[in-house]
Amino acid sequence: MTAQPDLTKPLPEVQPWTEAFWEGTRHGRLLVQACNRCQARIFVPRKLCPECWSPDLGWIESAGRGTVFTFSTAYSMVEPRFTDELPYTIAYVNLAEGIRIMTRIVGCDPADVAIGMEVEVVWHPRGDLQLPYFRPIARDDP
Amino acid sequence: MHIRGARAKLVGDIAIIGIGEVPTARLPERTPWDIVYETCVEAIRDSGLGKDEIQGVVSLVPVAQPTLANELAFGQLPERLGLKGVRDSAMVNAGGASSSNAVRLAEQWITSGVADSVLIQHVTVHSTIPVAEQIDAFARAGVDMQWEYPFGPTYNIIMGLIAARYMYETGATAEEMASVVTALRSWAEHDPHSLFYGRPPPSVEQVLGSEMINTPLHKRESNVLADGGAALVVVSAQRARELGVPAAFKLGESARYFSGTCVGRDFQQFNDGMRVTAQEAIARSGLSREDIDLWNVYIAYPLAHPLMAESLGVAPPGEGARYFAEGRMSFGGDIAWSTIGDAPGRGHTGSGVGAACLVETARQLMGRAGKRQVPDCRFAYQNSTGGSGFNNIVTIWGRGE
Repeated sequence: MTAQPDLTKPLPEVQPWTEAFWEGTRHGRLLVQACNRCQARIFVPRKLCPECWSPDLGWIESAGRGTVFTFSTAYSMVEPRFTDELPYTIAYVNLAEGIRIMTRIVGCDPADVAIGMEVEVVWHPRGDLQLPYFRPIARDDP
Repeated sequence: MHIRGARAKLVGDIAIIGIGEVPTARLPERTPWDIVYETCVEAIRDSGLGKDEIQGVVSLVPVAQPTLANELAFGQLPERLGLKGVRDSAMVNAGGASSSNAVRLAEQWITSGVADSVLIQHVTVHSTIPVAEQIDAFARAGVDMQWEYPFGPTYNIIMGLIAARYMYETGATAEEMASVVTALRSWAEHDPHSLFYGRPPPSVEQVLGSEMINTPLHKRESNVLADGGAALVVVSAQRARELGVPAAFKLGESARYFSGTCVGRDFQQFNDGMRVTAQEAIARSGLSREDIDLWNVYIAYPLAHPLMAESLGVAPPGEGARYFAEGRMSFGGDIAWSTIGDAPGRGHTGSGVGAACLVETARQLMGRAGKRQVPDCRFAYQNSTGGSGFNNIVTIWGRGE
């Protein structure tokens, strides 16, 4: 007998020092961890600054804009828990605040996603928090 | 005039003197322990040592097989095989970089006097793992559970992200990228230990005609999961020379750590790491790049090979893909590159592709690679990389003349 696949959408495994980040997502705020001693912008968020080991870390609010560094649009062979979302586009986005994150690109035809494209955050509910997805920034009509 | 290998160490501290391997296949009736008996007995017989002369056993982790991993980690192998002289047994796990770490542990045991001769083995049987478990294990391995996994990445997608950026930066075409599969599979056609043995490689058109899994990666640019196993016997270089048998001597090594998360892996850092580990390992061997007769690259995905060819200086910057398209790395080409065709040539056996590559390096230096034999193969580059690319370990091997 084949076991039923787990179709639950995975929640991020939140750590004590990242609770502020995920709390921010509930209010539509995208936070970037920053070191109060050496000013480093940090991703993935840590308990200690990876540059200077200071425990004095804080958060700055991102403007929620960035550019696509690279992307891949999936059409098949993903986990059963994500199959219902196919096709979907995973991307690395460079935020203006100086960090690069993994995310999804939504709100456009996957064929229109391009490296260098300017994108803005759009919130995607997951459990009782939200995941930062990104969509192309609409260009003003000429 | 450059004198080939004039400054080379030529022997180093340890050598591989015996190899054993089963062909890769999807054969659920071939149990893991069935394969362990086959590969280990073959490797020990091949070394010329008696079974009770083996004093240490190191297993590579069998990925996604927790029960088997426990059996091997907790010392069942020496007892089952009746290796009465074994003083210690252990398992190493650094994902795909387990092979190089197994060699390191064997080297430490030999040089510190713990063991005179060490058996290294890997076994993986993918075909009996329930599909849901397989998918689960591979989806969670090598990604960050907080910052990556919730978005739905897979190993194929991570490769797609790297390949898309590479193609953007170099202008490499889909046809050139697809030609890497043709090149790697051309070696498999002549490899009796491959599940693709005797089968002509797919054409570029066939690769591009296969289903798009995730851009820019087609189904034939992904890897077939397979069952397999390999074993090696390692002794001190001095012992290998006394025995006077064909052997592969470890000459030099270098390693770099990149990052545990995929998104934290700076592309430039990765390229620099690949380049510098090759330079350091070759220099520590007393060799120069021109001395390398075989580039036995292990990086699992075909789409990463052009980038490797450039980082290693085998192809000029931006031209790695074109080199594959021109057939230079294919069977019969002018550059001996991944002569078992890496994972595309063998099928993917988890951490076992690294073990298979190591066996191939030894086989080439022993002059026993049949139709794939690199003429007068004196020095080989071998790398291994773990997880979704968290590190790279380079070892340089020579035939000890």
